[in-house]
Amino acid sequence: MKLYVLASHIQKKLGFLNKAISPRSQLPVLLNIALITNNGKLQLKTTDLEIGVQVEIPANVEEEGEVTVPAKTFSELVASFNSDEKIIMTTDNTTLHVSTGKTKSILPTIPIDDFPNLFEEKGEEQAVFPKELFINGLFQVIFAASSDIARPALSGVLLAKQKEKNEMLFVATDGYRLSLKQYKNLKAVLGDSEEKELLIPARIMKEIVLLKDEDGDIRLFISGKNNQVIFEQGETMLIGRLIEAQYPPYQKIIPQDFITRVQFDKEEMHQAVKMCAIFAREAANIIKLSVAKDKIVVSANSPSVGENTVEVAAKVSGEEDEIAFNARYLLELFSHLEEEEVVFEMSGPLSPGVFKVKDDPTFLHLIMPIRVQG
Amino acid sequence: MAIKDPDTLWKTILGEIETEISKPNFLTLFRHTMLLSISDKTATIAAPSAMIIDMLQKRFMPLLKQKLAKHTGNEASLIFIAKTPKKGVGEERNGPLFINEVLRQPVTNILSQPRFLSRVRPEFTFENLAVSTSNQLAVVSAQTVVKNLGHSYNPLFIYGPTGVGKTHLMQAIANEVFYKNQERKIIYLTSEEFTNDVVEAIRSNDTARMKKRFRTADLLIIDDVQFIAGKDRVQEELFHTFNILIDNASQVVLSSDRPPNEIKKLEKRLSSRFTAGLTVDIELPDFELRSAILLIKAKKYGVELPIDAAKLIAQTTTDARSLEGMFLRIITESKARGEDITNELVNRVLKGKGAKDPLGHLHPDDVVACVCSFYDIKSTQLKGPKRDASLVRARQITMYLLKKELQMTYLEIGNTLGGRDHTTIMYGVGKIESQLSTSEAKNMGVSADILRISRILSGQRGD
Repeated sequence: MKLYVLASHIQKKLGFLNKAISPRSQLPVLLNIALITNNGKLQLKTTDLEIGVQVEIPANVEEEGEVTVPAKTFSELVASFNSDEKIIMTTDNTTLHVSTGKTKSILPTIPIDDFPNLFEEKGEEQAVFPKELFINGLFQVIFAASSDIARPALSGVLLAKQKEKNEMLFVATDGYRLSLKQYKNLKAVLGDSEEKELLIPARIMKEIVLLKDEDGDIRLFISGKNNQVIFEQGETMLIGRLIEAQYPPYQKIIPQDFITRVQFDKEEMHQAVKMCAIFAREAANIIKLSVAKDKIVVSANSPSVGENTVEVAAKVSGEEDEIAFNARYLLELFSHLEEEEVVFEMSGPLSPGVFKVKDDPTFLHLIMPIRVQG
Repeated sequence: MAIKDPDTLWKTILGEIETEISKPNFLTLFRHTMLLSISDKTATIAAPSAMIIDMLQKRFMPLLKQKLAKHTGNEASLIFIAKTPKKGVGEERNGPLFINEVLRQPVTNILSQPRFLSRVRPEFTFENLAVSTSNQLAVVSAQTVVKNLGHSYNPLFIYGPTGVGKTHLMQAIANEVFYKNQERKIIYLTSEEFTNDVVEAIRSNDTARMKKRFRTADLLIIDDVQFIAGKDRVQEELFHTFNILIDNASQVVLSSDRPPNEIKKLEKRLSSRFTAGLTVDIELPDFELRSAILLIKAKKYGVELPIDAAKLIAQTTTDARSLEGMFLRIITESKARGEDITNELVNRVLKGKGAKDPLGHLHPDDVVACVCSFYDIKSTQLKGPKRDASLVRARQITMYLLKKELQMTYLEIGNTLGGRDHTTIMYGVGKIESQLSTSEAKNMGVSADILRISRILSGQRGD
C-alpha cells in the first residue's frame, strides 16, 4: 500500500472513528483502525462489534492495499500533525510507515483478515432526514433513554413510522420521563403504507449527533435479515444492531386533556430550578412547583440544608395546583431545549406533567411527578 | 452420539470451545451465541451482530463444524442468524410512567392538541344537539345560562330519564363557555367523582386543596347528582361549596334522573337550594327527535343513512343511548357485508337481534347488574375510568360475558361499558379467554367466578 493524504482529512474524522473503539475490547484487532484503499480513496473503519464506523476520505493512491493499526497511537499521531501537512503511508510486511516532510513513524499492524466485515448489505432505505432537523430533534429525545442495560427496550430510541404518511416519531423513555419528537414531510421511501417500529440503541443515536458538523442529509437503512441499522451521511456510515424487545405502550400515557396550563420563560425557570436544586439535594432532589394566578413558585426544602422559594412569572390558565418533580429531570429537560418559551400542562399532582415548546407541535416531554405529603 | 436438545448440546460445545481458544476470543465472540436449531444437514446459530458472525465465520468455522460433528455424528452445514438471544427474564419493569393508573386509551394522533376541559367530550356541542319539543325548554335555558353565566338561572337543574341527552347538554354548556372565554375556570364531573374527591381529601387529610379547587370555579357542573343521596359528608361539602359559588355569582349546573324533591335521602337544605334557580326536565325523545338524532349520529360516523331507514330504527326504541347502540350494530353489519344501509338491511338486523340472543331476553344491563352485584360494586364504577385491579377484572368478565353470551359486537360492548374503545374490549375478552385456558390456581378463580355469574344469569333467564 502506498498513498498520500492530507492530515486534516483524517483529523476531521478521528473523533467519530474513535467512538467505535471500546477500550474494554478484549481482542487486539478491535483496538485497531482499518485502513483500506478503495477506488482512489482511503477508507477507515473501526468497530467494537456492537457498533461500527466507516468513513471515506480523498487520497492519492499509488498502490492499493489494506491493513489495520492500533487506533490510539494512530489517532494521537495524526492529531499532532499540522492540518495542512501531507502524509505518506506505506506498508511493508508487518508495519505501516507514516511520514510527513520531517517526521517518520512506524506502527505495528494486524492483517486485515482478522478485522470483521462491518456489514454484508446495507439493507433497504427507510427514510431521508434533513441533517439540521434530525440532529436538533434527536438532541431533545435521546437524553430521556435509560442507561440501564438490564432494561433493553428502554435503552433504545424508538423510531415509529406512521402509516401512509411521510412521518416518523422518535420516542425515548426511562420509565420516569419520556421525550417524543415528530418528523414531518420526510423523504420516506420504503413501504409507505406500512406501519413500522424500529428500536435502535440510544448509544448509536448519541454518536449520530456528532455528525452535526458535516453536510448532507442523513439516510437510514435497515437490514431486517441481519438485524442491522445503518445511518449514512455522504461517505460516513454508522452501523449498529436493532434491539429486539417490546417497547412499552407509550401511546397510552400521553394525556389528552389537562386542567392547568402554564407558559413561562425557559431560562428563568431553569435558573429557578437550579437554585432550588441546591436545597433539594438532601431531600431526594424533590422540588415543588406551585402554580398561582400569574406565576409559578418553585420551592425546595430539606431539614438539614434549609429551604428556598423562587417565583417565576408565568401565563396561567386553568386551575391553580401544585406538583412535585425530581429536579434532575427538569434540569436535563431545560438544558436540552433551545427554545425560549415553554408550555407546561398538568392534570393534578399525580398525573404526568407535559412540557411543550410554544408553537412547536412536534415536540413533547413527559415527567412523572413525585407524590409528596402536604 | 445422538442429537440432544439444542441448548444442552450448545452448552457442551461451548464448554469445550472455552478450553481450546483464548479467553478474549471466547468472551467477545461466543458468549452471546445460541444454537437455535439442529438437523442432520444444518445447524442454525444465532449471534448478536453481523460483525460477530463475520468473525466467527472467518476464524472458527472449522472448529465449530468439527465440534458439531463430534457430538451429533453428522457433517452439518452452518447457518448464522443475527439475533440477540433472549434472556429468560419475564416482563420488563417499565417504570412508574407505565403503571396502570397512568395508562389510558391509546390515541391515534399523539400530538393532537389536548383538550382543556378534562372529562368533557369536545364533540358534545349545541350545534349537534337535536332539538325538539321534548327538550326545547332545557336547551333554551342552557343557552341562556351560557350567555349570562351566573346571573340568569342559578343553579340550573336538569332532570330526565336515562338517554335523553342530559350529559350532552351539560357538556355543551361547558364547551360553549370555554369557547367563549378560555380563562374561565370550568369544572365538569359526575357526582361519583365529586364523592371520590371528597373521600380522598378526607383520607389524605388535605381538604383545603379540594375546597379551593371547587370553590374557585366559575362554572361547576355535576352530572347525575342523585348519587350523593345518603352520603352525609359529601352532601355537607356540596352544600358549602354550593353556597359559596352562588354567593360569588358562579354558575352551577346539575343533572339528575328525577326532580330534587324526589331524590330520597337528600338533605332538605340541599334539595331546596337545588330548586332555587330553574328546574327543567327533558322528556324521552319523540319519534321525530329520535330520527333526527340518528341522522346526526350517521354524520358523526361518516355513513349514509336514508331517512326511511332512520325512521325504521327510531321506531324500535325510545332512549337515545340504546338507539345509538342499535345504530352501531347496523353500521357494523353494513360494513361487514359491504352493503349500504337500506330498509332491508335494517329490517334484517332488527329481526336478527332477537334470534341472536342465546340468553333469551337478557339485556346487556342485566349482565352488568349481575356482575356488579356479584362483585359488590356500582355500575358507575364498572363503567367508569378507574383501573383498580378488582374493577378491571369485573369489567373484563363483563366484556367476556357480553361477547360470549349475548354475542354483542365489540363496538356495542364498548358503548355499554361507558364508551370504551372497541380495541379495549377485544383486549379484555382476549385476556379472560387466555386466563380461562390456564389452570384454576393460576387464573385466581376467574373461571369459577364466570361459572357462578353465568348460573345466576341463566336463573334470571328462566324467570
